[in-house]
Amino acid sequence: MELGPITRALLRNKLGVILIALQIAFTMTVIVNAVYIINDRAANMARPSGLDEANTFHISSIGYGNSFNESVVVDEDLNMIRQLPGVIDATVTNAIPVSGSGSSSGYGLEPGRRDTLVPAAIYRVDEHVLEAMDLDLVAGVPFTAQQIVRRTPTEERQVTETILSQAMAESLYPDDWRQALNQNIYGPDGSALRVVGIVDRLQAPWPTFTYVENSMLTPEITLDNSTTYLVRTEPGYRDELMVEVEERLATAPHQRILRNNQSLEYTRTESYRIDSLMTTILKVVIGTLMFITAMGIVGLAVFSINRRRKQIGTRRALGATRFSILRYFMTENLIISAAGVTLGAIMTVGFNMFLVQTFNMPRIDWFYAPIGMLALLLLGQLAVIGPARSAAAITPALATRSV
Amino acid sequence: MLKMTGINKVFRTDTVQTHALRDFSLHVEEGEFVTITGPSGCGKTTFLNLAGLLETYTSGQYLLDGEDVSSLSDAQRARLRNQKIGFIFQSFNLMPDLNLFDNVDVPLRYRGVSAKIRKERIEQALAAVGLANRQRHLPSQLSGGQQQRVAIARALVGEPRFLLADEPTGNLDSNTAEGVMELLEQINQQGTTIIMVTHDPSLAARSQRNVHILDGQIKSDDRNSKARAA
Repeated sequence: MELGPITRALLRNKLGVILIALQIAFTMTVIVNAVYIINDRAANMARPSGLDEANTFHISSIGYGNSFNESVVVDEDLNMIRQLPGVIDATVTNAIPVSGSGSSSGYGLEPGRRDTLVPAAIYRVDEHVLEAMDLDLVAGVPFTAQQIVRRTPTEERQVTETILSQAMAESLYPDDWRQALNQNIYGPDGSALRVVGIVDRLQAPWPTFTYVENSMLTPEITLDNSTTYLVRTEPGYRDELMVEVEERLATAPHQRILRNNQSLEYTRTESYRIDSLMTTILKVVIGTLMFITAMGIVGLAVFSINRRRKQIGTRRALGATRFSILRYFMTENLIISAAGVTLGAIMTVGFNMFLVQTFNMPRIDWFYAPIGMLALLLLGQLAVIGPARSAAAITPALATRSV
Repeated sequence: MLKMTGINKVFRTDTVQTHALRDFSLHVEEGEFVTITGPSGCGKTTFLNLAGLLETYTSGQYLLDGEDVSSLSDAQRARLRNQKIGFIFQSFNLMPDLNLFDNVDVPLRYRGVSAKIRKERIEQALAAVGLANRQRHLPSQLSGGQQQRVAIARALVGEPRFLLADEPTGNLDSNTAEGVMELLEQINQQGTTIIMVTHDPSLAARSQRNVHILDGQIKSDDRNSKARAA
């Protein structure tokens, strides 16, 4: 290895070296943070909602006119839907997980203590919710039909039971979430709900919600002329049932309009569209930056080799093998890249601190910087191998030519 | 030491075929100081390139230290150059970004010599050419004569069997050229074989043997009894 002479020679031609090292450092800074953001978004997008998303769809019914009796219509609709072949179960709900739309509240262990309330999404559902949403009850019992409360939005709350997601139970009882079972929890107005059950997982409707895993089910149907049915089907039946359910609801003699007949998979895709778009953009940025950096390295190497053709011929005359020349330029690139990635590691951490402080983004994991350094070193070596091979092919006879 | 027999070197393009050397035979004994003269384009540099294993020949036989070099691989030729041949070029061919120490170090690094031994040899070689106190200087900080001395130090540092010098005084003024010539003669007297290509008849006259090339063939091969023998 010729680390010493190569380094000293590079230090005598600083400008090009510094520019490439800075480019590598900048590329590493952007790429590492971008990869981290992509992975963070991907992890968010991959979080399970708790539902059987592949086999679930939802459709909304909005009644109008004086003759529209929502309480009757809901029963008719649900009876019809549940009897269709291929339907596992259906429930009414005020909100759809991952849809971005729903309601939330805060609940705590002490009445009147607003400062200790734990935020949670509220799903108002009927007794079929566990089957319809495919939720796993890990403690307690499901709702019964007798517990379902039908009320208009202006009526006083009469609900007295709730089923919590396990994450919500853990928020209330960090030492042992099972302690939440059969306990009363209290809302902002001091009203109590008794925890009758706990399900292992149920996400809130808002993917970016800090407490996205905190959810509560309450046994109630809000009669505000707008009802959403969530339907779970046997595998393979979803798409045809989406059509059939909509047709049957449409042909029923009620004054209403139907909308948002969507699979839960589509709802998820729509909810995460911005994340997907950002991920795609960041991937393009990463690819572009890597290409530009690789081209910069190639350009510097080609320029450097063309400038030193006679030197290379002389080295060959003095005993350098083709491999020696190849190794020389690979080593030279390694030194430049090492300087770049070292600076890049510092810049990466600095940039991440800026993102954390300014945009409240997550702190980068420690291993991203070393992996980024290795990736950029590898990129440099791959980029320079072509020019280095052409340098190695220079004939030693060039040493005696007047070029 | 160097024995070429019936060497031909032909350069071919799509339309032109040029015989740079024709049926070229030369035998150089150990310790000789041979000058190669001839007009431009006669084949001097081609001979030098073949002798120095910088190029391959088209046909014939070349024995270097008794070893037939025709079947050697590129890496083997590089190793042989490194171990047995020292090169001195007309325009010195020093690495402008390396100081004198690193310049002289180049052939030793390709030989895999330890750092300690390299350092000793480099210091000795630079001292031998009178530049021991300029080790950290760059070539650009030296005169032409000094640069050629560095090139000679680089050629000698590996203790080669023979030196190939391509117009070593061609870019130097007469006084400096005289100094370089004296240095080469001194090296030859210490036992190193030297083959020197030159245009200068006065330098040729100082060597023990002058080979004159014309149109790729040896026109004359004269021995000079007045020259100082090694």
